[in-house]
Amino acid sequence: MGMWGPFRGPHLQLTLRLDWEAAYLDGRTAARRRATVHITRTGLDITLPESGARLFWPFREIRQTQGTHAGEQVRLERGGELSEALLIGDVGFLSAARAAAPEAAHFHEPGRRRLRVGLTFAALVAAIALAVGIYYVGIPAVAAVAAARVPVSWEEKLGGAIVDHFAPPSGRCEDPVRQAKIDGIVAALTAKARPQPYTFRITVVNSSVVNAVAAPGGQLILFRGLLERTDSAEELAGVLAHEVEHVLHRHVTRAIFQQASTGVLMAALVGDVSSVVAYGLEGARTLGDLQMSRAAEAEADREGMRLLQEAGIDPQGMITFFEKLSRREGGRGGDPVTRYLRTHPTTTERIATLRALAAAAPKPERRLLPDDDWNDVKSLCGELPAPSPR
Amino acid sequence: MADTCPRCGFAEVASDKCPKCGVVIAVYQASLDKMRRGPQAGGSPLVRSSTPASTTPTPSAAPRPSPETPTPAAARPAPATTGTRHAIFRGSGSSLFGIHVINALLILATLGVYFFWAKVRVRNYLWSESEFEGDRFAYHGTGRELIIGFAKAVAFFFLPITLLNTAPELLKASPIVVVAARMTVSILAAVFIPIAIVGARRYRLSRTSWRGIRFSLRASTRQFVGIWIRGWMLTSLTFGLYYPSFVTSQQRFLTSNTWFGSQRFAFDGRGRDLMGVWLGTIVLFLPTLGLSWFWFAAKRQRYYAEHTRFTGARFRSTVTAPKLAWLTISTWVGLLLTAGLAWPWLTVRKTRRGFAWLSLEGPLALDTITQQAQQVSATGEGLAGFFDADFGLI
Repeated sequence: MGMWGPFRGPHLQLTLRLDWEAAYLDGRTAARRRATVHITRTGLDITLPESGARLFWPFREIRQTQGTHAGEQVRLERGGELSEALLIGDVGFLSAARAAAPEAAHFHEPGRRRLRVGLTFAALVAAIALAVGIYYVGIPAVAAVAAARVPVSWEEKLGGAIVDHFAPPSGRCEDPVRQAKIDGIVAALTAKARPQPYTFRITVVNSSVVNAVAAPGGQLILFRGLLERTDSAEELAGVLAHEVEHVLHRHVTRAIFQQASTGVLMAALVGDVSSVVAYGLEGARTLGDLQMSRAAEAEADREGMRLLQEAGIDPQGMITFFEKLSRREGGRGGDPVTRYLRTHPTTTERIATLRALAAAAPKPERRLLPDDDWNDVKSLCGELPAPSPR
Repeated sequence: MADTCPRCGFAEVASDKCPKCGVVIAVYQASLDKMRRGPQAGGSPLVRSSTPASTTPTPSAAPRPSPETPTPAAARPAPATTGTRHAIFRGSGSSLFGIHVINALLILATLGVYFFWAKVRVRNYLWSESEFEGDRFAYHGTGRELIIGFAKAVAFFFLPITLLNTAPELLKASPIVVVAARMTVSILAAVFIPIAIVGARRYRLSRTSWRGIRFSLRASTRQFVGIWIRGWMLTSLTFGLYYPSFVTSQQRFLTSNTWFGSQRFAFDGRGRDLMGVWLGTIVLFLPTLGLSWFWFAAKRQRYYAEHTRFTGARFRSTVTAPKLAWLTISTWVGLLLTAGLAWPWLTVRKTRRGFAWLSLEGPLALDTITQQAQQVSATGEGLAGFFDADFGLI
């Protein structure tokens, strides 16, 4: 039941509705009072018919806190934290105030809501693009820089914790004589390598898992299952060269940074949700980490091959061993080899790359150890089981 | 003068300092006054004139009255209206999704700093779309407050705990030191959770208003920490049997210390009334694969509602175990299947149902209620973020 009043501005000649029905909250009591609002050029003239009181609110002291979404009333506040408030049901008021007074330009314009939908869609596209960019470019770059700044002593402490987790002291194979031969391979590998701050140590774990793990700081964990599947010292040297390169390139330290930042990225995208979703997202993140780790694997292959060649070790051992694993790829799901492949994807492509790299350099004459000696070293964790029928 | 403390509601304040919470009444009142007046009248050299005299002349010939307070409503008769009242949630999932998209973009672009402002925008929307008796709620928190609360929580709680957790081992301290540090961490964590619960609730209530009147939690944090530690100890010693009494004493503390302006909520529930349901829940827990929990949760919600009073009115809840189980499980499944993307719609659905189940019945006298706001920091809110503890207000 608002009145219609004429408004003559300097450059517009329009009939604007200047009087509006409203409710007034004084910020002191919980009473809602009926009010009428008259829009002037500099502010709002408010009349409270029940008490006859009149108030004037200059536009520049008014904050609009509600009324920007469909179905919302307009809420205007004035004063400190415990403010007075004016509630207007019709959003047309906002357009009228904006048209009548230049000082009301900070009010929301309901006519622009369609535009906002478009902008939101653009923001969606931009957010996805930004997230993809951060994931594929930003996070790896930051993780590489951060990992390079971590002191070696921190990495060693972290590596110690990882070794304790994978290889508790009770599960280790202790055989100083045979262990010395394996240590000799690492020494041969790293002797010619570029100057580096790490001291490499190998821990052999009594477990049938076919795997080897490079912990940060130079600790290498070798599982019995993998050791038993090697047929020469050169084959193990290939695996160790690969793991040594993981350490030198700080891949694990980098992965820790990447994992942490990916978690933050996902939290930003999905928002304030419960931990239930966090578990669901964990799976997606692991998949992503696997993707990222492929690049690290390729680098460790390439550099590992170079390390072998520099140390004068026959690179054919590395290729033979990877081929051996690759042949098992079609095996049963629970097969220990398949488990190794999940973190070390052995594809034909990978082997082809290694072949090409190996062919580029002359083949050395020297052998690391005679095969008979190697069969002895392999039994580091005790007698070998009977050869498997496979 | 014997007066009530404006901060904690303690009734016997004889001097100018409250013996219970230690606040100096005059200083506290002065800071509240400042909150009411706002920055422009705060006495700073940058005072802007609060009268529009210096502005350009208006074409309107309307007389310019002084912003004078009208006669308070309390002067008029205060009719207590009766009937069944529901809060209504009017928000939509698509609007919330729109807010979320902009938030995600800004969080990414600011490398996470916008997170706190994003939180405020979401709460602003949820509060604004909640309606009771024809009036919307309003959220008054700011991103600045939240980020300061977060920084304080990191400095005073998170960093000490992390240092105690890692430093002894990194420094290769003796085993006794390591064990002592571990025990200190467990004790601190046990204390921080109740501090976070009270702090977060105190902050959120103080930043929530309806009809311009703020809610508040007026009670000492220390008291709640006591309830919490005693409750945990008794619950462990009785192998869980004390649990209903523990949660009910928490509820009693939180509800009966909640105020809407000058009006306090009342709670008269007793833990032993939930004992029968609790025993049944435990017995059936394994056979029902844990679903019996919803039986207890629904009963507890109904019981707590029925034992909460506000002025002459009493809350009532119609929630049942199947309804609660379906809402909770379908929300989880929906979030998991959409990797969290459906949360705007699921949040709207959850809030709608929650409001529909709860009602307030009986005479409600609102007109005598006056503003009594509280000074509150957001540290507890920041701390609550670390414990992944989301404590709904309604």
